[in-house]
Amino acid sequence: MAYKDFRDFLATLEKEGQLLTIKDEVKPEPDIAAATKAMSKLGSETPAMLFDNIYGYTNAKVAMNVMGSWPNHALMMGMPKNTPLKEQFFEFARRYDQFPMPVQREETAPFHEVEITENINLFDILPLFRLNQGDGGFYIDKACVISRDLDDPEHFGKQNVGIYRMQVKGKDRLGIQPVPQHDIAIHLRQAEERGENLPVVIALGNEPAITTAAATPLHYDQSEYEMAGAIQGEPYRIVKAKDSDLDIPWGAEVVLEGELLAGVREFEGPFGEFTGHYSGGRSMPVIKINRVYHRQNPIFEHLYIGMPWTETDYMIGINTSVPLYQQLKEAFPNEIQAVNAMYTHGLVAIISTKRRYGGFAKAVGMRALTTPHGLGYCKLVIVVDEDVDPFNLPQVMWALSTKMHPKHDAVIIPDLSVLALDPGSLPSGITHKMVLDATTPVAPETRGHYSQPLDSPLNVEKWEQRLRELLR
Amino acid sequence: MHTCPRCESKKAEVVSKSPVEGAWEVYMCPVCIFTWRSIEPETITKPEKYNRAFKVNPADIPFAENVPALPAKYIK
Ligand SMILES: [Zn+2]
Repeated sequence: MAYKDFRDFLATLEKEGQLLTIKDEVKPEPDIAAATKAMSKLGSETPAMLFDNIYGYTNAKVAMNVMGSWPNHALMMGMPKNTPLKEQFFEFARRYDQFPMPVQREETAPFHEVEITENINLFDILPLFRLNQGDGGFYIDKACVISRDLDDPEHFGKQNVGIYRMQVKGKDRLGIQPVPQHDIAIHLRQAEERGENLPVVIALGNEPAITTAAATPLHYDQSEYEMAGAIQGEPYRIVKAKDSDLDIPWGAEVVLEGELLAGVREFEGPFGEFTGHYSGGRSMPVIKINRVYHRQNPIFEHLYIGMPWTETDYMIGINTSVPLYQQLKEAFPNEIQAVNAMYTHGLVAIISTKRRYGGFAKAVGMRALTTPHGLGYCKLVIVVDEDVDPFNLPQVMWALSTKMHPKHDAVIIPDLSVLALDPGSLPSGITHKMVLDATTPVAPETRGHYSQPLDSPLNVEKWEQRLRELLR
Repeated sequence: MHTCPRCESKKAEVVSKSPVEGAWEVYMCPVCIFTWRSIEPETITKPEKYNRAFKVNPADIPFAENVPALPAKYIK
């Protein structure tokens, strides 16, 4: 099932009791960011929030924490809101395998209702506000940014839809952070080699399938639109831009058309990042906006990012774990059970696997380091047995405390690549990485006293089922 | 013109006014591109109370690292 647009998803959240409307007046700062951060602290089943009474505005609406919990993530996939995390993981993996789903093209879209091409002022059009106290300004950080490969412009899959942090730096001007590992950095490089500006479109307030696909680490030539279709189980609807050949999510609330300026770098940041640290004070590319469209009374969707866990972690938890799982299964199809790479975008990953022989689990850990995502993440890989649920941290801690021998099971590989935002990397972008083998030794590795694992009393599963029913 | 709380340039300008008249203004500094709203806490709006760790010296700005790096032909 697909959500038609952002409003359709909000309506479902409301119907399911997963949308809290804050009717009391709030100040843009610090109230909206503070309330959203506070919501994240209340657990992993929190609702989205809609602020519709913001001081100084007449009809602004701001939506926060839209995918900031496991129930909201389940509803994104059209599943019951109480679906356990591991089930959401396996269902996401099943849909990921349906890639690619062809797109559905449309001629017009709701965001064509209002169009602005003169005297654009983003500060007036969008109810912008500061997220964290050290931020250098007002940011846009949950929008889809769309660009094409200039050397292969007909290749639909090489068109990229990504989510990047963007600082509003003027009435029609944005700063953007395309780190070198990101696909848009490839497009920018092509444009700058030619001395041309790079056309871009920015779509704000989208239904959640494209946001999820845009935040999934896909291969360079895989289309996020075709992945969004696979995730929602129906063709994804797109419409053409007017100033370029770019495709735009049909259901967007607000669309900005513009160009990345070739050869320009300008002071940016700082901005509080998903690592729980600020980054900034560097010179980054600039986007000039030439055209704005939006629906009547658009809803501004924004994302609070900061010390984990926040909405970001729910948004990139499962869709980071599944590609890693699929890529490991390509190498070890009969052994890999599940992957949890939800911690700080997979800087820590936990892999559950069967072992064929001694040393096998370490090989699995090493393979994770060489996957596309592992090149920039997976600083610590914990490998556990097939009967340990990697999403159940007490079980993982049990495996570490009883199965791991530091002399034999801690492997450190020096000076590998990691994303530059990792505050511990030195130089920035380089770190040692570690595999912790917390699996039971198997022959020819015969150390330890593991021959008498505890079983459970008979009929525990039956009782578990019965108690669930009694407690319902 | 307004004083930038972060780099203390005197060149900040109004970029937006509240739809409800008189509620607030938004300013932007063209030197360090800091942006703030008039009604934010004083630790944001007042140069002397702005977090020292986040202050910017205008003299440092030209030396900020380019991310991503610029192709050779743009480097003067
Ligand atoms: Zn300044």
